[in-house]
Amino acid sequence: MELDFSFLLEYSGVLWRGLLTTLQFVGLAVVLGLIWGFILSMGRTSKNLFIYWISTLYVEFFRGTPVLVQLFWIFFCLPLFLGVDMSGFTSAVIALSLYSGAITSESFRAALKSIEASQFDACTALGLPNGVRTIFVILPQAVLRAVPNLLSNVVSLFKESALVSAVGMADLMYVGQNIANNVARPIEILSAVAIIYFCIGFPLTRAVSMVEGRLLKVVKA
Amino acid sequence: MAFVEIDGLIKRYGTLSIFEGFDLNMGSTDRLVLIGPSGCGKSTLLRCMMGLEDIAGGTIRLGDDDYIDGAPNGKMKLNRQVQKEVGMVFQHYTLFPHLSVLGNLCLAPVRSRGIKKSEARDKALGLLERFGLADRANFYPSQLSGGQKQRVAIARALMLDPKLMLFDEVTSALDPELVVEVENTMMELAEAGMPMMIVTHDMHFARNIATQVVFQERGKVIEAAPPKDLFGNPQQDRTRDFLRNVLHIEG
Ligand SMILES: Nc1ncnc2c1ncn2[C@@H]1O[C@H](COP(=O)(O)OP(=O)(O)O)[C@@H](O)[C@H]1O
Ligand SMILES: [Mg+2]
Repeated sequence: MELDFSFLLEYSGVLWRGLLTTLQFVGLAVVLGLIWGFILSMGRTSKNLFIYWISTLYVEFFRGTPVLVQLFWIFFCLPLFLGVDMSGFTSAVIALSLYSGAITSESFRAALKSIEASQFDACTALGLPNGVRTIFVILPQAVLRAVPNLLSNVVSLFKESALVSAVGMADLMYVGQNIANNVARPIEILSAVAIIYFCIGFPLTRAVSMVEGRLLKVVKA
Repeated sequence: MAFVEIDGLIKRYGTLSIFEGFDLNMGSTDRLVLIGPSGCGKSTLLRCMMGLEDIAGGTIRLGDDDYIDGAPNGKMKLNRQVQKEVGMVFQHYTLFPHLSVLGNLCLAPVRSRGIKKSEARDKALGLLERFGLADRANFYPSQLSGGQKQRVAIARALMLDPKLMLFDEVTSALDPELVVEVENTMMELAEAGMPMMIVTHDMHFARNIATQVVFQERGKVIEAAPPKDLFGNPQQDRTRDFLRNVLHIEG
């Protein structure tokens, strides 16, 4: 078997556009997931039992089912339920964001829970009202502590985003598969796709460890 | 009338009873040092004084005011105005790690006492200067030594002009060579006339700073006396046993 990577050059433009689409999906899902995840984490630490159970059920459901199933469900079933036309792009973004929100909320919740009781004692000893305590003492520390976890969520999401190719979104994975079918050279093209994913994913993973080391030093005073 | 009056204090953690009717008085010029075996409730007593613990019975008065009125089932009454007059420093610093030294000092005055930022800042810088920490104002807690952290914690409490300061083993987590700087800071406060309740294992320091030493065991005061009497001529067997043990360990 002979390997020939030279033809890849011809397809570099298509691959590039595929990568941009992937990054677009991930970017949107990360931002929307952050907002949604924060709201969910408030729900999961709420004293209101109804809010607590609803948000807990939601999070457990999205963590406990395959992303591919969620994606298909939202792509094929949700428009039928709502009786509206949704572009494939919109469905895919919604699916990824709903999933990313569930994962993100867990990171926030863990960070909130990791704050020592002594920080609360210090606030009481200084006579800080609850609102001031939450906004100026607890939240900033929770966010700082959540950062490494949030970044690794981004890495996972980046990899899981390849699933959108299954519903026909022209992301990097989809484009790669198409070219592979057209030119009948799956080894070269799929290897190239894997390497492109890795070139983005690896620096992200490294960044996570770096940030983790630095932040922990600050936060664990 | 005593400055601090603890009367019939009842404190339980679930079924574990710490105090069943504990009494203690303190004068307005007193520096009370609490000593006693580990687990006898010294920290709990200070935490009750700070209003951090729910007490099931008894009363605490401070100055002319009713401060805490204990009641079972979380029905304790606490006067927040009086609570503001008490400051506390903990064993493990409990600085806010995401704020600079200045940020730590200014947060409570600015956010809950309505003091102007510039005013709080000037006061903070003055306190840091007095404690020899002026060059650390913009450092973060993680960049400070344990002794510096603990002195910042003391300064943070002083920002609110407390009438009573509580110190719970504030030197226990420190490397031996850093203990002195914190103890000196506390001595300076003592000389400035600050009433204090102090828990410490350092008997030498206790002797120097206390006006009154209180030996407690199993939720009761066994003996209370000025340091030279309590250390020099303890009246109770249990006090003698305790002192012999700790002084022996200290060498
Ligand atoms: N939050 C808590 N819940 C249950 N038990 C506690 C709690 N805090 C302290 N205790 C118990 O109360 C007793 C007194 O503790 P403490 O006041 O810390 O003693 P000391 O400071 O004299 O060593 C100990 O037996 C301790 O285990
Ligand atoms: Mg203790």
